[in-house]
Amino acid sequence: MMKLKVYTDRMSQPSRAIIIFCKMNRIDFEEVRIDLAKAQQRSPEFQEINPMRQVPAIVDGRFKLFESHAILRYLVCTFPGVPDNWYPADVSNRARIEAILDWHHSNLRRGSASLVFNSVLAPKFGLPLNLEAAKEAEKILDSSISKIEGIWLKGNSKFLLGNFQPSIADLSLVCEIMQLELLDKKDRERILNPHKKILQWIENVKVATNPHFEEVHAVLYKVRAKLHSNPSSISGESIKSGPKVKLSPKL
Amino acid sequence: MAELKVYADRMSQPSRAIIMFCKMNKIDFEEVKVHLATGQHRNPEYREINPMQQVPAIVHGSLKLFESHAILRYLACAFQGVPDHWYPSDLSNRALIDAILDWHHSNLRRGAAALVFDTILAPIFGRPLNPQAAEEAEKILDSSLSKIESLWLPGNAKFLLGNAQPSIADLSFVCEIMQLELLEEKHRERIFGPHKKILHWIENVKAATNPNFEEVHAMLYKTKEKIHGKMSDDAMKSGP
Repeated sequence: MMKLKVYTDRMSQPSRAIIIFCKMNRIDFEEVRIDLAKAQQRSPEFQEINPMRQVPAIVDGRFKLFESHAILRYLVCTFPGVPDNWYPADVSNRARIEAILDWHHSNLRRGSASLVFNSVLAPKFGLPLNLEAAKEAEKILDSSISKIEGIWLKGNSKFLLGNFQPSIADLSLVCEIMQLELLDKKDRERILNPHKKILQWIENVKVATNPHFEEVHAVLYKVRAKLHSNPSSISGESIKSGPKVKLSPKL
Repeated sequence: MAELKVYADRMSQPSRAIIMFCKMNKIDFEEVKVHLATGQHRNPEYREINPMQQVPAIVHGSLKLFESHAILRYLACAFQGVPDHWYPSDLSNRALIDAILDWHHSNLRRGAAALVFDTILAPIFGRPLNPQAAEEAEKILDSSLSKIESLWLPGNAKFLLGNAQPSIADLSFVCEIMQLELLEEKHRERIFGPHKKILHWIENVKAATNPNFEEVHAMLYKTKEKIHGKMSDDAMKSGP
């Protein structure tokens, strides 16, 4: 049987969700790195894999699929032995998870991804920062975080919907929130610290999915360290691996 | 089986998709109108039904559910006798439809809904028109229509993915695109001009779902007449 191929960039939130899911469930796969900062998603070869030219995408035998939630659902149903908590067979419980997955796109995803892109990441892709767009995005993010707490993490809920084990919705949403690690510490704290339930939930998901969670997020942490120890790297130089460098103020 | 209540406003694109799906599949339901223009979705009673305070939402026994795609998937699986083409049991075919449903939110939905809101509907909800936002939205819409045509309506495809029968993705998308009926004719011609396949596909979905399609869209057509002051019966019946 041909191995599952997973096309990802670990800087991409939904890519991380797929990789963590596969590792958690011992799904054998080959990780094919598509470096977004080098615009590898625009290559003609990758367009054959995913005509939307986005990550993540998978190829399973001859079957090609994109959109991380569609991929997660497919993996749960196709690979044997995936525990029911990830995507319950019960129609009502499954539907409640679907609602979260669908809500995500226009809410948490939209707010969080746009905030990080417009306040930090844009120059990495040759685009200018857009602080006005970032401000709008932060409103959407803040509203989304409040809704998650108020609707899906009631009481002492360990995971979304009060579930005792994580679902693909927990994985997807927490990988998205992790992107906020790229913000300035003070901004991140301003946004997240009022939301103790969210912080606890993130920890719960980490505990449930470690060591894979930390391993898959290592790239993100590395980029965070470079961004915030070397402010000039925000302006568009490609981020190279190496020791932290303190900038001379005259630069 | 428990009673199904569908909370909807027929001016809402995803509400129409749910109502049509139920009627097509002879699913017994009570339609509870939630009138967006008078802010009924903000009532405390409605918040008990859907804490997101949006339509559509359903209540089925002890299940309260929002998000139209989650609702469509649930209805396809929970009710007996729904033909397989709406949401196939084959995992790969189902996954391809899931991908389309997921893609919709940030693409077709985002473009089409924002364009209509910022060009026409905003004042009904006490907000100003926003031509700049409308311009941005039209770019997203145009790009989305192009992608639908090139990726999911290959050759002489009758429905998305070249399927011979419509799926919940066809229903969701076409109900979204129908909102553009509210735009002036000249805008609609500009938007659809480059997209003949889209127009053809809309007709296919109508043919497959009439008379329910026209009945469920009657309110949209009436609103269009009021907005544009036209009083032509023909304009109401003939579609885009």
